Amino acid sequence: MNSSIGKLYPSTKFAVMLLLVIFSIFTPGYVMQYLMFPLVVLISLCAGTGKQFLGTFFKSIFIIILFIFAIQVFIISNEDAQPIWGFLHFSQTGLNDSLSMTSKIVAISSLVICFFQVTNIKDITYALERSGVPKKVTFLISSTIQLIPQMSALSKTITDAQKSRGIETEGNMLIRAKAFVPMLGPLVLSSIQQTEERVLALESRAFSSRTKKTSIYEMKKKTADYILDILCIAGFIAYILWRVM
Amino acid sequence: MAVISLKNVSYRYPLEENQVIKNVSFEIEKGQVWGLIGANESGKTSICNIIRGFIPEIYRGELEGEVEIKGKKIESYGDGELASVVGYSFQNPFTQISGVKETVYEELAYGMENIGVPRDEMIDRVEKLIQIFHLEKLKDKNPFQLSGGQKQRVALASMIALDPEIVILDEPTSQLDPQSTEEIFEIIQLLKEQGKTIILVEHKIDLIAEYCDHILLISGGEIGMIGETEEVLTDPKVLTYGGQLPQVVLYFLERRKKTGEKGKIPLTVEQAYKILKKGGRN
Repeated sequence: MNSSIGKLYPSTKFAVMLLLVIFSIFTPGYVMQYLMFPLVVLISLCAGTGKQFLGTFFKSIFIIILFIFAIQVFIISNEDAQPIWGFLHFSQTGLNDSLSMTSKIVAISSLVICFFQVTNIKDITYALERSGVPKKVTFLISSTIQLIPQMSALSKTITDAQKSRGIETEGNMLIRAKAFVPMLGPLVLSSIQQTEERVLALESRAFSSRTKKTSIYEMKKKTADYILDILCIAGFIAYILWRVM
Repeated sequence: MAVISLKNVSYRYPLEENQVIKNVSFEIEKGQVWGLIGANESGKTSICNIIRGFIPEIYRGELEGEVEIKGKKIESYGDGELASVVGYSFQNPFTQISGVKETVYEELAYGMENIGVPRDEMIDRVEKLIQIFHLEKLKDKNPFQLSGGQKQRVALASMIALDPEIVILDEPTSQLDPQSTEEIFEIIQLLKEQGKTIILVEHKIDLIAEYCDHILLISGGEIGMIGETEEVLTDPKVLTYGGQLPQVVLYFLERRKKTGEKGKIPLTVEQAYKILKKGGRN
């Protein structure tokens, strides 16, 4: 987040992402869409999040893409299907369909993943609050992000408590699955129980105050943000003209 | 004029048959420090919640009687308005963190952000709080990564950041080691010197005797005893209401039984030392 890209104002990064998503959705074919991937890798490398991006992409999106290819090309029976072995066959239509489908998935998901990796949630909520989004909405975003490590810490405490009472929590998949189910009850109930106290804590910090919220954290748009904003608008107009004419 | 006034206040939690607070009336003047004592489940926290307005606003239930804060009926305060008048530090430090801030520094400013304090003033207040509460090493940490005692200090500092006139501290030292407890009481002393009105719920009776000038002893939801600290905490009746007496008082009461001597019973070790020294016992 300390790179020049990371320091850009969130709305600028969002505008760039949105423009590239529009290009990916409305441009026919799949070449441009697939070109988004190396572009995003380059952006991520410049932002210092390259490793993180590739890790996330290959652990999630890449598996989905492989699955779509396998189903479309070798399983779904199209008119031009050429038998290979048993229920497997090769289909050129399936290949074209999957290229068209996966190219958009690759482009859009890469852009979205990259955006969230180069943008701090604090920056996003700050920008949203500045643009007039109610504080209840920004609270929901921030608390959800913070909730994940909290829930995982709580589940660890519950697992440790159960382990100390003789419940087997380590071993093969079946043992772990068996230990996971009885942990869910206390996890959900404790979280609900904590909600009441959290409400009181928030209320004691004047959460329901109707005064306009201020912020100790400050972020301002810089020249680079304005330049990129203008380039995005110009790029969008040029793209519309190119598509219409 | 009383800053806190309760007249014939009774309260019943939703779905409960019995009232947890029964016909309680008292007044607290500006700048006084009150120790709220009593056995567990006697209704101390419920009284704090009534003064803070969480009862019945959040807890619901049936509240009877009149509650006035700074001469104004509590129900006439607007949304979030009471937070900057009555500060409340809770017993459980684990749920006092807002859950939306990434650092202790930002956590301290959260309440001020909500009431629209200008940024420069916020920075100023946060810097001062970091110094007072010795949070220099913690300021860049995530509040969720802190220990119970550290969280308690951050929660207390966040409450003080709003600069409330009335401060309610519900067992603020329950999770703290002796050194941190001492630090918290130093802060209480500081708040006292600033003229804040303080309600302190605490089981460490020796500290109550040292820092509070008035005592409210709650027993079974009713007022057991009320009055100046010297008057209440030297009276053995406190024990019959489920309260405790300071060690020094217990010692002198026992001594009186044996020797039959009369005079003022000391409340603190310092006072006891002076009396014993005067009497020639070092």
